[in-house]
Amino acid sequence: MSLIKTENVDKIYQDNGVPVEALKNINLEISEGEYMVIAGPSGSGKTTLLNLLGALDKPSSGKIFFENSDYSKLRRKELSSFRLHNLGFIFQAYNLIPVLTALENIEFSMMLLGIPEKVRKERAMKLMAELEIDELANKRPNEMSGGQQQRVAVARAIVNNPRIVLADEPTANLDSTTAKRLLDLMLKMNEQKNITFIFSSHDDKVIERAKRLIILRDGQIQNDKTN
Amino acid sequence: MLFKLAWRNIWRNSRRSIIVIGSVVVGVIALLLIDSLDNGFLNQMLFNQISSNVAHIQIHKKGFNNNKKLQSFVPGAEKVDETLANEAHVKHFSKRVIAFGLLSSASNSSGIYIYGVNPGKEKFVSYIHQFIVKGKYFTGGEREIVIGEKLARKLKVSLGDKVVALANTPSGSIGSEVFRVVGIFKTPNSEFDKIHIYIPIRTAQKMLDIGNNFHEYAIILDNYKNAKSVAADLKNKLDAGYEVFSYEDILPLLLLQLDLFKEMMFIINLIVGLALIFGIINAMLMSVFERIQEIGVLMSIGMKNIKIFLMIVFEAIILGVSGTILGIILGYALTQTLAVYGIDLSIFSDSLTSFGVGSIIYPILSLDNLIVTLFMIPFVSVIGAIYPAIKAIRLEPVNAIRYI
Ligand SMILES: Nc1ncnc2c1ncn2[C@@H]1O[C@H](COP(=O)(O)OP(=O)(O)OP(=O)(O)O)[C@@H](O)[C@H]1O
Ligand SMILES: [Mg+2]
Repeated sequence: MSLIKTENVDKIYQDNGVPVEALKNINLEISEGEYMVIAGPSGSGKTTLLNLLGALDKPSSGKIFFENSDYSKLRRKELSSFRLHNLGFIFQAYNLIPVLTALENIEFSMMLLGIPEKVRKERAMKLMAELEIDELANKRPNEMSGGQQQRVAVARAIVNNPRIVLADEPTANLDSTTAKRLLDLMLKMNEQKNITFIFSSHDDKVIERAKRLIILRDGQIQNDKTN
Repeated sequence: MLFKLAWRNIWRNSRRSIIVIGSVVVGVIALLLIDSLDNGFLNQMLFNQISSNVAHIQIHKKGFNNNKKLQSFVPGAEKVDETLANEAHVKHFSKRVIAFGLLSSASNSSGIYIYGVNPGKEKFVSYIHQFIVKGKYFTGGEREIVIGEKLARKLKVSLGDKVVALANTPSGSIGSEVFRVVGIFKTPNSEFDKIHIYIPIRTAQKMLDIGNNFHEYAIILDNYKNAKSVAADLKNKLDAGYEVFSYEDILPLLLLQLDLFKEMMFIINLIVGLALIFGIINAMLMSVFERIQEIGVLMSIGMKNIKIFLMIVFEAIILGVSGTILGIILGYALTQTLAVYGIDLSIFSDSLTSFGVGSIIYPILSLDNLIVTLFMIPFVSVIGAIYPAIKAIRLEPVNAIRYI
């Protein structure tokens, strides 16, 4: 059974009244445990597709199923709850909450799930040790390097044991060595914890590691290749 | 955690937060000061009226207050004396003869209210004796008169000078008597000083040819707040031939003014509240707009709208409450200090004394107003946060994240 399945998904933006067809007829099946990269030139629709898969946006037409239930028609509140329980996000600009420490940032997603404080702390510390960021626990984002922030962001994304982690250009702001370390870390999480990762990127280092590579062009799937 | 987040968010832009808190502090202090000044002003006015002349309760023959006819003597004084003696709240009372007349000196004359009083008793009922600026409040002589400073100036008389009082007697003839000025008083109410003179009650009765009769009981209670209930009680015990008035019945205008000031205070509260609401709307909107991307992230990772809404509202409440607490502490300290030393408004002294208030106002902070302020400002903060909070949760997570 596929984890996510899209059926004839179209996304049309209105740009000052002019329709922009960002995605055309996307049919995609993603299984549990995949490590998948969506690549393609700028403007090809990578972010748009990722946002749809991540329940941050709704398709103009077509359906998106998560374990056979269509979530593309859910209401905002239900989408929010769906994301909280099933998805993790990693952003290009890290986007940690600036007023919270690394530990608190990681705890935050657990707090939203109503996990008691003691459990939260324990679990966050354990994960931080695993990701080798435990010495950052009490630092605020502005006291960390980009790579450190993005590792904390990875921890935040996976701490609730999501089914899928979506990452839009996670390495775009990182230098090459840092990017590689981060990608290896995510690969490890994919293999150890069987978390499905979906990336959008045109970074070779990301593409290299892909177990499945989808290439978009002008909003359509040009190539879908599993290594 | 939500609260922690809100608290830290406030100190991200500490300058803006301090400005907002500062405006709340200023607003709160202004409210407390205006209210306590008004309160002090009105209380002084009321207190001066009560203690210069009105007392807490007055008893007359029915109709006297409307038409001060010389023949309207208090009937059955023994019965009234006894009733008053049995009324627990009554502390002191004084009998007064009241007549309209004319006071003349060698150089001028003036229309006046003649008050025949028993100085020993009157001392406990009115405070004229405390306002003697020259001479004494009676020394025991029969032909002594105590007059106000303003009247003394008009008649160009001083201590020891002779004045002549004239008044109609009930039979229609004119009673007159020569007096020697033994005391000059100056109350905070200059208008009062111009038309009230005091002579011994016996002399007044003789001069007016009214025997042992008198017109008024002026009564002081243990607490002015009991005036209404005690007056009602006395009215019950005495028959329909009497009128029993509390100071509220005698000073309806002043009480109207008190009410008016309360309404004005409500309006001032409203204005300050509105100003603060807009201040908070403005600050919170700026803070939401600065954080659009961050709010988008919070939404993406699954924070519910209600929590985002609450976070913004908490931020406003923290601003409002800390401003209120600080404002109340400072405002309290300020009004309590002023309550001891008073605010010297001598520049406006002329108009104030014709209001019947001294030139120094002692603010009185009312608990009511303190409580209203204490609850109003946090409420106002919530109101001010609603619009920015709605703005925040209307954001679409995708658009918010994209926003840079
Ligand atoms: N909110 C929007 N309104 C209008 N047009 C949009 C909007 N978002 C994206 N587009 C358009 O949709 C198309 C796909 O955009 P998208 O951001 O998905 O591309 P991308 O592959 O992520 O590009 P990049 O590599 O630059 O991030 C582009 O033509 C873009 O201009
Ligand atoms: Mg993109």
